Amino acid sequence: MKPTLTLGPVLFNWPVQRWRDFYARIADEAPVDAVVVGEIVCSKRAPFLAPVMDEVIGRLAAAGKEVWLATPILVGSDRERTAMRDLLECDLLPMEANDMGALALLEGRRHAVGPFINSYNEATLAWLAGRGAVAVSLPAELPAAAVATMAKMGTALGLSMEVQVFGRAPLAISARCYHARAHGLHKDGCQFVCGNDPDGMPVSTVDGQPFLSVNGTQTLSHGYLALAAEMDRLLAMGIRRFRLSPQDLDMVAVAKAFRAVLDGERSGPDVVAELRRMTGVPLENGFFHNMAGVAYAGAPAPAA
Amino acid sequence: MNPFELICPAGNPAALRAAVDAGADAVYLGFRDETNARNFPGLNFSRAELAEAVAYAHARSVQVFVAINTYPQAGNLAPWQRAVDDAARLKADAVILADLGLLDYAARHHPELRLHLSVQASAANAEAIRLYRDAFRVRRVVLPRVLTVPEIARLNAEVDVETEVFVFGGLCPMAEGRCSLSSYATGLSPNKQGVCSPASHVRYEPRGAALASRLGGFTINVFGAGEPAGYPTLCKGRFVPGGGASADPAYLFEEPTSLNALELLPDLKAAKVCALKIEGRQRGKAYIAAVVAAYRRALDAFARGQPVPSLDLDAMVEGGSQTTGAYTRAWR
Amino acid sequence: MHDPGPMVQEHAPEDQARNVEVRLTRAGLGLARRLGDGAGGLLLDRLLRILEARHPRAFAALGELPDARLLIDPVDAPAALLLRVGPGLALRVCGRDAEAEATVRGPCARLLDLLEGRIDGDALFFRRELSIEGDTALILALRNTLDGEEMDLFADIAAAAGPLRHALPVARRNAGRVLGLLGTARRFAPPPLRWGMAVLERRLSGPRQGA
Repeated sequence: MKPTLTLGPVLFNWPVQRWRDFYARIADEAPVDAVVVGEIVCSKRAPFLAPVMDEVIGRLAAAGKEVWLATPILVGSDRERTAMRDLLECDLLPMEANDMGALALLEGRRHAVGPFINSYNEATLAWLAGRGAVAVSLPAELPAAAVATMAKMGTALGLSMEVQVFGRAPLAISARCYHARAHGLHKDGCQFVCGNDPDGMPVSTVDGQPFLSVNGTQTLSHGYLALAAEMDRLLAMGIRRFRLSPQDLDMVAVAKAFRAVLDGERSGPDVVAELRRMTGVPLENGFFHNMAGVAYAGAPAPAA
Repeated sequence: MNPFELICPAGNPAALRAAVDAGADAVYLGFRDETNARNFPGLNFSRAELAEAVAYAHARSVQVFVAINTYPQAGNLAPWQRAVDDAARLKADAVILADLGLLDYAARHHPELRLHLSVQASAANAEAIRLYRDAFRVRRVVLPRVLTVPEIARLNAEVDVETEVFVFGGLCPMAEGRCSLSSYATGLSPNKQGVCSPASHVRYEPRGAALASRLGGFTINVFGAGEPAGYPTLCKGRFVPGGGASADPAYLFEEPTSLNALELLPDLKAAKVCALKIEGRQRGKAYIAAVVAAYRRALDAFARGQPVPSLDLDAMVEGGSQTTGAYTRAWR
Repeated sequence: MHDPGPMVQEHAPEDQARNVEVRLTRAGLGLARRLGDGAGGLLLDRLLRILEARHPRAFAALGELPDARLLIDPVDAPAALLLRVGPGLALRVCGRDAEAEATVRGPCARLLDLLEGRIDGDALFFRRELSIEGDTALILALRNTLDGEEMDLFADIAAAAGPLRHALPVARRNAGRVLGLLGTARRFAPPPLRWGMAVLERRLSGPRQGA
């Protein structure tokens, strides 16, 4: 199977115009094979995207992209449950489940398991495959050894196995909104302050050290997870889907760079160098190297 | 008959005896390895100790639940499967699981074993809970600490499954089992290694009369002279939202505070919650004895329709303050 | 740091007993300090052996830890203790600036409460009555290991150590009176080390050597 690039859902609260234009440009210019769309962080934001959703999906599909709809990460309140059920009524598009409730409702339908469902081992993959999942996107915190085992076993089970290779690592989800809290607001009267931070709200330690990034109810890494230099290893393990998570930078350029690595036209380290030129945000690959996620490990020397 | 079961933590055999003697209906505990979410140095039970614990508890009509609630490591499932096998063999009354693959294993290999869904599975809606019940015959769900009492009530009305809720102790502001903050800073996580903000990566530094707590190279709090301290968990740290430096950092996620839902007993009963859980397998036996005894007195008074005595436990808890947390969702 | 004083009249018998024990511990530490590593070391070795015999599970666990030193500093006592865990398990009196991988500081009474699992270590830490520095995992391992025991330091010693076997229960029952006696004894205690060493060595080595 030919390796493919997946563009994950936009996690941030971008103005609807910007959101639409972003996907128009992705449709026209980005060498990605699949695009996952949907508001998965906060159900309060979803109504803003609804009016342009059909247009965006149509445009991406017309450009030959495989379009998936993603379900929300945390579904607890009645409002969130209703939104999830409404979303799953659309049976024209394949779904990516990010919560066990959505997975329950997707039984018998073609679906993918998103990175927010805890897939930590081959026994879980076997159970998911047995229920009809066709692809599994692995949680960001898995180290290389686990990824290797799961890629092998997952592929044998007929699953298409995916790993996030670019973008802030999702670290936590909550029922509370930390954007609202940081601004002294309640969640219900949040004034959508998360819209002020299109790449997440930076959070530093008491010593002024950059540390995390807050996106409403979600907490992300400060640095961008970047596994460009690990692409060869991931391919050798059997990973065939590579996820790019949208950030506030030229995602078309990012997609082209990773595409070039998959096509054997550029080296991973070369792309790492380009990413460093594109952004002041540090790059991180610690999770994959079984270190603190915040770390960046240089690629190990090739075996003699 | 008391409307609630009281589920109490034990980090070692002495704490188990303390919990049983203080009036627990059930004690939950873990094996001394990475198969449980309190994998701390010097804590937890060997197989022989579990056997003794079961004998001690059963002789006093108290149940024992074994938490095997981390996510088995890919390529190394045996320790988790063995833990389930041994818990069943040693006559534990239930195992508390989170991983789909392990639930599947337990349901297939131990059809008689009672399965509880750990809070680490973060099953927060009726659809998810029904799936766990139907797929694995899960009998009880420990609810994540993100739901309000009315949401719990509706959930119980919709799904025929026992629900257990945390009423006292430490509090995760994040959805449990879906948090990698610890491994981001240290490489070790609740899901993989059963540790959050592990002691091996914690350092306390005096800064004059203040006390700084550092985790994996990040300063996560500075407590002023005499200010009550908290656990060195990331989500209870002070940070600077917006980035940069600030003389006035904030508790961005949660203050060092402790859950106490005692005042909600009538609501929890009306919501048809069946079991109340006390957090704290990492706490000392003195704490276990005091908290369990206080809750026992309160539940007994409640069952008799008498006024519920308030708990004088402020001195025991993180930050010296208590909250009803998500149940009343003050932040909405 | 300040000494609350005996205040025996206002306290329950349990507190009075603990007060005596705190006094005894402080006096013991001071004495062991003055005795130096020879006789003082002998005293502490003996103490460890007594506890080991009564709490084999905990001592096996401490012996399995990686080799490390823990400074236990009762801030209101004349000296501190250095506990070495791992294969070379040992206890020595030391100055409060001794080099160690980890340090626990707190009032003598609180440290005794902690040792015997009468109080929750986390709670003490939250209230800032206990301060810790260095290898936090080592401190946690020690705390959790000791908390798993039902340890009663003075009863353990009393049960094992000949001359103290009868004296300690009496001391606990008659806390107020014994405090007075202790105070008197301290005033009259001669400073020269020779005297203390001779007496202590006789008392310590007595039961074990079958004298």
